[in-house]
Amino acid sequence: LGLPHIARATGGNVVIVGGGVGGATTARYLKLANPDISVTVVEPKSSYHTCFMSNEVLGGERTLEGIEVGYDGLKSMGITMVQDRASGIDPDARTVTTAGGETLNFDRCVVAPGISFVTDGIEGYDEAAQEKIPHAWQAGPQTALLRSQLEAMEDGGLVVIIAPPNPFRCPPGPYERASMIAHYLKAEKPKSKVMILDPKEKFSKQGLFMQAWKDLYGHGTDNSMIEWNTFSKVGAINKLDAAAMTVETDFESFDPAVINYIPPQKAGKIALDADLADDSGWCPVDKMTFESSKHAGVHVIGDAAIATAMPKSGYSANSQGKVTAAAIVAALAGKEMPQPSYVNTCYSIAGTDYGFSVAAVYRYKADDNTIAGVEGAGGLTPVDASPEQRKREVAFAHSWYNNIRKDTWG
Amino acid sequence: VSVAGQAPAAELEASMLANTCNGCHGPNGTSYGPAAPTIGGTNAAYMFETMVAFREGERPSTIMQRIAKGYSDEELKLIADYFAKQPFGRVVDQNTDPDLVARGKQIYDNLCEDCHEDEGMSAIDYPALAGQMMPYLDHQLHDLISGRRDLEKNEALSSKERRKKMRNLKELVDTEGEDGVTAVIHFFGSKN
Ligand SMILES: Cc1cc2nc3c(=O)[nH]c(=O)nc-3n(C[C@H](O)[C@H](O)[C@H](O)COP(=O)(O)OP(=O)(O)OC[C@H]3O[C@@H](n4cnc5c(N)ncnc54)[C@H](O)[C@@H]3O)c2cc1C
Ligand code: HEC
Ligand code: HEC
Repeated sequence: LGLPHIARATGGNVVIVGGGVGGATTARYLKLANPDISVTVVEPKSSYHTCFMSNEVLGGERTLEGIEVGYDGLKSMGITMVQDRASGIDPDARTVTTAGGETLNFDRCVVAPGISFVTDGIEGYDEAAQEKIPHAWQAGPQTALLRSQLEAMEDGGLVVIIAPPNPFRCPPGPYERASMIAHYLKAEKPKSKVMILDPKEKFSKQGLFMQAWKDLYGHGTDNSMIEWNTFSKVGAINKLDAAAMTVETDFESFDPAVINYIPPQKAGKIALDADLADDSGWCPVDKMTFESSKHAGVHVIGDAAIATAMPKSGYSANSQGKVTAAAIVAALAGKEMPQPSYVNTCYSIAGTDYGFSVAAVYRYKADDNTIAGVEGAGGLTPVDASPEQRKREVAFAHSWYNNIRKDTWG
Repeated sequence: VSVAGQAPAAELEASMLANTCNGCHGPNGTSYGPAAPTIGGTNAAYMFETMVAFREGERPSTIMQRIAKGYSDEELKLIADYFAKQPFGRVVDQNTDPDLVARGKQIYDNLCEDCHEDEGMSAIDYPALAGQMMPYLDHQLHDLISGRRDLEKNEALSSKERRKKMRNLKELVDTEGEDGVTAVIHFFGSKN
């Protein structure tokens, strides 16, 4: 058993579980605001692969190294990285324990573990099956696996993407993925097709994606490279057979070359284990400070948190990290925090020179503890945007990527 | 940061608002490229007027019109003052062609120097252009030349300034052509 860390920082101790978007942003902005605060990030991985732009890896437009980011930026600011998995959080003793047996004391804890998957309910599917049927919804080896399957498939094959039910990480993600895979197939294996099977009747940026599929991939013709089928039309998924590579629904059976099953989601496991989630599987929080509604002194941000109108996105997690850092700096100093301000933006790239976006600016509403979009602000790229505008949005999507990476991990 | 570990309230409010821009414009408004503009170190009056123009739909954009509508005048003033205090970071080595840079310098001396002083480094009265992202400069120059970004709608400029700017841009296109436009972009893009 390790001894508790007894070092007492003059500005207080903050322990952050997870060095992804939410955790890393909070760490950086805490240090920027007050270097006297001791900040420790617990993260099992030695480097992080961003999910954002991982669809470009699948499309062959970017390498896996191109979405990898290390932790030297955080370390250089005096942030302590503990390369380990948090195994327990005790909100009363104010300690985080790690799988390796360390105990870390905190004045404030930030939990940003992202998502976990619901793997029961479908015959033939479990964690082991993920080695043949990748989700690629946490980037890294899973992204590499799905890409290698796309590279190995023969022309004329079928790629099935099974989209998750709401709420889930990155609402436009499955549809951007379908677009980027079609982009690759169009150039390399033009007789192939992508089929999305969807429990939902509608999806994020639907009009823009449909327009893009029409403009780029023959949607609406007999030769469409992308087909979108709802469960109400083809039936819900009953069985996934990783050995035979088949998908069975209530009414049909498919024989794809590649299956990308994106399972239903809930908060990261540590958040569930630490009793931070409610019956929905996600974590209720105070929308001004992101302090858990269940355990004082512990904040939950990013995908794991319930953040009213903010979608589960990297921009949201980054924005929430800054609000949480301000809340913690104020709390440790015994002062009031400023009124929070939050933004989300999400770019999607559907093909060559073809980008679009959604944006929102949010404010805190104290009367009902919600985060609400500012009326009249935000919204989508117009469906009739010019080709020049769409092309510019691709360049701005790539800029967004470089800038949010820097802003998050330094 | 004060001894108690917290900055004054107005400063906190400003950074809370301004930090939300960094996801697209980079830490402290310094862009890591390739296209989104650096906004740190921008003259406060120019940034405020620009944000109002986006908000009112008077300046075209891909996304800024949608973002700017989320902020009041008071908030935009805080944001503009905040970014004006940051350095204009020039962190990206942009790919420039030495011949185009030399030609761009000549054009600059003739047509742009009166306003965008100190080789475009100055942000005192006009937007700084030196080290700005080249694709962004390219978008803006073409939007200004085509009238899509319409200076006539900008009441912050005197009519003399508007006339002179448009005359000089016209002269750029008439005498130097599209290559001349590319050359000034390379000239500004070469500064870091
Ligand atoms: C295909 C795809 C495309 C996307 N595209 C975009 C996009 O274009 N724009 C956008 O804004 N968002 C995008 N997203 C969403 C974005 O990636 C997530 O919303 C974001 O990563 C959420 O941040 P987070 O901090 O909550 O979780 P994560 O970034 O997943 O970080 C969680 C971290 O916690 C660590 N962790 C987990 N458990 C423990 C534990 N017990 N102890 C210690 N550490 C632990 C994990 O290793 C991980 O590093 C996309 C997602 C996908 C899947
Ligand atoms: C989602 C991305 C995104 C966010 C968030 C964003 N911007 Fe922008 N900004 C852009 C892009 C892209 C441009 C180029 C114009 C366009 O196409 O919209 C731009 C242009 C600008 C310009 C014009 C620069 C010049 O030199 O004239 C200013 C000023 C600006 N933004 C300020 C801000 C401020 C202030 C915020 C936050 C309150 C902000 N931006 C948030 C993407 C963003
Ligand atoms: C009469 C003064 C003047 C001259 C001369 C002038 N400019 Fe400008 N320029 C301005 C002003 C003022 C603006 C800001 C306009 C606004 O507020 O929308 C501007 C904006 C710009 C912008 C957009 C900057 C941004 O951040 O969005 C570019 C690019 C630019 N000028 C390039 C040039 C070039 C190239 C020349 C020479 C050919 C030139 N300008 C000559 C006054 C001038």
